[in-house]
Amino acid sequence: MLNYIWAGLIVLSLVFGMVYDINDLASDTYRNGQAFEVQVDPLDATSASSRRIPVRVHVDPAAFNAFYGVEANPDSTYDGVVIRNQEGMQLRFAQDASVPEPWATIRAETSERDNDLRGTLAGWSPSGGPAAVSFREVRFVKMRAIAAAALSMAELAVELALGLIGVLALWMGLLQIAEKAGIIHSVVRVTQPILRPLFPDIPKGHPAMGMIVLNLTANMLGLGNAATPLGIKAMEELQTLNEDKETATDSMVMLLAMNTASVQLVPPVLLVALMGLQINQLIFAIIIVTGISLIVAVAAAKLLSKTKRFRASAPAATTEG
Amino acid sequence: MDTIRSIIEIASVFVLPLLIVGFPLYGLIKKVPVYEEFVEGAKGGFKVAVTIIPYLVAILFAIGMFRASGAMDFMVDGLRPILGWFGIPPEVLPMMIMRPLTGSGSAAIVLDMINQFGEDSILVKMVATMFGSTETTFYVIAVYFGAVNIKKTRHAVPAGLLADIVAMITAVFVVRWLFG
Repeated sequence: MLNYIWAGLIVLSLVFGMVYDINDLASDTYRNGQAFEVQVDPLDATSASSRRIPVRVHVDPAAFNAFYGVEANPDSTYDGVVIRNQEGMQLRFAQDASVPEPWATIRAETSERDNDLRGTLAGWSPSGGPAAVSFREVRFVKMRAIAAAALSMAELAVELALGLIGVLALWMGLLQIAEKAGIIHSVVRVTQPILRPLFPDIPKGHPAMGMIVLNLTANMLGLGNAATPLGIKAMEELQTLNEDKETATDSMVMLLAMNTASVQLVPPVLLVALMGLQINQLIFAIIIVTGISLIVAVAAAKLLSKTKRFRASAPAATTEG
Repeated sequence: MDTIRSIIEIASVFVLPLLIVGFPLYGLIKKVPVYEEFVEGAKGGFKVAVTIIPYLVAILFAIGMFRASGAMDFMVDGLRPILGWFGIPPEVLPMMIMRPLTGSGSAAIVLDMINQFGEDSILVKMVATMFGSTETTFYVIAVYFGAVNIKKTRHAVPAGLLADIVAMITAVFVVRWLFG
């Protein structure tokens, strides 16, 4: 399943990227090489002879829409500067100006660092007046975007993983103490009767059950940072019971399903930060929904493990049962 | 309702310090060499983090490409009419698709919708409930299975996604029932 989803994501992104780019080329979305007429007036007349002239750019929205074939709503004036050098005149819009599409894309593609839209200006006199501005040609936006996304996400993945080291080390250290002191064993004894039906292939008194309980408790209390190392520890314990180290056992899938359903009595910190006080109204709704999704997750993991297809793929240790 | 909520809130504040202090303290009473055992266990943290890197890279770069290609927008447009039949507002669709794939991406959607519709709007309540009641399924799979080098995930993906879909749809109706 994951094989197909994974390959599907990659192949589909290439296909969609190509369709978008070919569509852009066919309809000439960015009007490559064509000049657009704007009115450019210097802010004060005294700067007319300098190399750098602060200007106000007037854009006629109707002309903009007709030229690009869009229904955008450009502001009618923008601040900017005209830079003059041997090669001619360059119009630079103010940084981070709220330009409409397709200018926003042109800006993103041609001026990554400064985030100011730049175009060459023709037929303009420093005393002010109409001028034709043309931008650098933009092609294959999506192709570039998917390549960039692949690279930056690969980097992000490493950052995320390495960012976990500290918390992982802290919890795995604490858990080592807990195990040696017999705490995990006590947790197992108390909770065994409740969780046993969900994890039938864990032998009685095995520490895996204790880790699972700790993981679920941390989840419930919204302690995401603590839940992850506990869940990983639980997985490691389950792996010691697994005959085939590359294939998930029924218990592993059950634990994973319970985690993805995320039983939460306390909402995650991030959501609290986003929603502010509004979160108080939502706690009840979240508890209902998360409870229902937990039931579905447990039922799905249980029932799917009984189907012919997934029973056949189960590691040897769990087939009886 | 309020007392239960405050009990939970207080518990969530105290659990962490209690565990962090309690484990070594109890270990000391049981005559465990706590410092040595802590260091011994903590060594595993680095190994686990490094082990999950390839799994995370695999999942995240594929999702990143998919988002950047515009395929996500296309899916949203395609599924819009189908949602209409079930009485699910199309505005929440990007959330339903993004939630299992990326945590930061779906948080961005919540933020974007707060800016667009205001915190009080029922649509924001729906997406916030979706965000709060589900997990980033593919990330959880990559991390948990990656940590123990499980490559064949069997029914984990269908079970996780089914729970997600049910949670999202339930969120729409529960919020409408409570606030609509």
